[in-house]
Amino acid sequence: MTSTDVLDVRAKAQREKRRRRIASIVYIAIGITLFFVAWVLLSLEASPWHYDIPPPFGAVGPFQDILQGVWGLFREEGAIAHFWSNLGTSQDMRIKFVHACPDLHPANVNNPFRQVASSLMGWKYTSDTAALTGGPLPVPIGQLPDYCYGYGIHLIVTIIRILLGAAFGTIAGLAIGLSSLVFPKVAQVFTPIASFFGTAPIFIAAPFFVIWFGVEVPIMTTIGLVTFYTTLLMYFFSRRAAENIPVGIVESALTLGGTPRSIFRWVYLPGTVPEIAGGFRIALAGAWGLGVLVEVLGIQVGGGHLIDIWRFLIGQLQAPSALVALITFYGVLAVVVDALLLVVIRYLTRWSEAGRRLGL
Amino acid sequence: MSRVVSFEGLWCVFEHRSGQLVNALHDVSFEVQPGEFVCVVGRSGHGKTTLLRVLAGLQPPTAGQTRLGDTVVEGPGADRAMVFQQDTVFPWLHVRDNVEFGLRALKVDDEERKSTTAHWLDAVGLTDFADSWPRELSGGMRKRVALAAAMAVGSDVILMDEPFGSLDYFTRRNLHDVLLDLWEETQKTIFFVTHDIEEALILADRVILLAEGKLVDDIPVDLPRPRDEDVRASAGAVDITKTILAHLGITEEEATQV
Repeated sequence: MTSTDVLDVRAKAQREKRRRRIASIVYIAIGITLFFVAWVLLSLEASPWHYDIPPPFGAVGPFQDILQGVWGLFREEGAIAHFWSNLGTSQDMRIKFVHACPDLHPANVNNPFRQVASSLMGWKYTSDTAALTGGPLPVPIGQLPDYCYGYGIHLIVTIIRILLGAAFGTIAGLAIGLSSLVFPKVAQVFTPIASFFGTAPIFIAAPFFVIWFGVEVPIMTTIGLVTFYTTLLMYFFSRRAAENIPVGIVESALTLGGTPRSIFRWVYLPGTVPEIAGGFRIALAGAWGLGVLVEVLGIQVGGGHLIDIWRFLIGQLQAPSALVALITFYGVLAVVVDALLLVVIRYLTRWSEAGRRLGL
Repeated sequence: MSRVVSFEGLWCVFEHRSGQLVNALHDVSFEVQPGEFVCVVGRSGHGKTTLLRVLAGLQPPTAGQTRLGDTVVEGPGADRAMVFQQDTVFPWLHVRDNVEFGLRALKVDDEERKSTTAHWLDAVGLTDFADSWPRELSGGMRKRVALAAAMAVGSDVILMDEPFGSLDYFTRRNLHDVLLDLWEETQKTIFFVTHDIEEALILADRVILLAEGKLVDDIPVDLPRPRDEDVRASAGAVDITKTILAHLGITEEEATQV
């Protein structure tokens, strides 16, 4: 074999790698297309779910829908069109549910989320108050235009809460799980507790969190429950990951002079990454559902609250469109976050064959 | 600074699940001088690995003690680095970091750590693979990484538990040469567990024979080095082989059939 042949083999391997990546992207595109095709078919008049499931882009034929997909975003009668047009501001919610529309008046804005919301929709506020008062000055609440925050701010609030809860829970779970390897007493204390709570479905705990901590302090409800759930999962995953490190590797580290600290840093921490990362993906996937569920139960801001509102309004004001759009949003969001996680996990586990092949 | 290794009245008794007691080591006593290359030979399950684990400090003896110089072995330590039968190279560390592991644990300063690592990587012929992941190496190369890591921590004694057992003949022969070169360069005491008599003849100054946990013979291997095919076919080598086989309860005929 000459060096030219070697180069040919390398080029072939690179072409193959590129081909696999392109194929993965094509498969994702096919998956998304099939998803929308299924959605359109379920929303057709012939479908038994016709009244429950609105068309994604608009009330035209399925094939036109797919072809006019992007264009359909600007049509008003489809679920995605509804979501898109209500993303920044929403008139419909203002009409029916005033409490769902935090006050736009700057004097009443003291919640940090509301401040973010105000600045996000500052353009709208400025133009409307200017029209009412002749300038961008505060106006009495009664004179405010008939719209309120759109889906965007609610969804951002939910995302922040869930990610914060998952982050707190992961840190706590890993800290307890990994420290229990160094200090067995921690495991003796925590394992029975975690096992007790771990056997009960976590959704059962959701109403208790709402009852105990109320709906006004989301850090104790949405964030609290997601943290609790993630802590339990990450504790178990970190323990299991450490147990799966071959004993021979730990013994080898000991005979090379490894101290508990160096073995923790150079053996347990990196060695447990693949399983912990896999566990985190599972925990986060569950956290999306859990966080939204708690909001449905009573929190006054967030995606779950929007779903709750539209649940009451079923049959009116494009409620099915709104519900389907919100659920789709969370599905897409979970997939996107998972894809980003995959990239990070692939980097962290690049030493393992499985890690190298993860994702694209 | 090398020290004498002494095993003094060593017993190691395990309780089988059925409640039956198994003597893995049965009153084993012997001494090993600094710089000796000792092969521990015996059938499977006759206490070879247990003996090595007791010396490594990974297995406490039921009775008796092991000493390194004046120090009684009470736990694992870098003065008795071990190369295992299974693959124990850390897969999440580059080859260089694997060799550096022990030096980091011993808090060796950066400059010395780097130069020591570079020296041992060179000694085992892996300088070009310093930044590779273990998964990118062959089985033989991974064994060389483990060997370099054990050598790098500056142990008095290197313990090797059938380290080349899973490798093919040619790789094993190559690693024998690497190991003997390192041994001659460092004059460390090496304990090498094997059930391969030919391997013991190639490597050892002395063969410790274990049968059912008892030390049944301590055979000096007075053959010239390097021990090529001719040396291993010499009358002296054949006599040693016959003695070992006799102790292990294997006839020459059986050995030939194997």
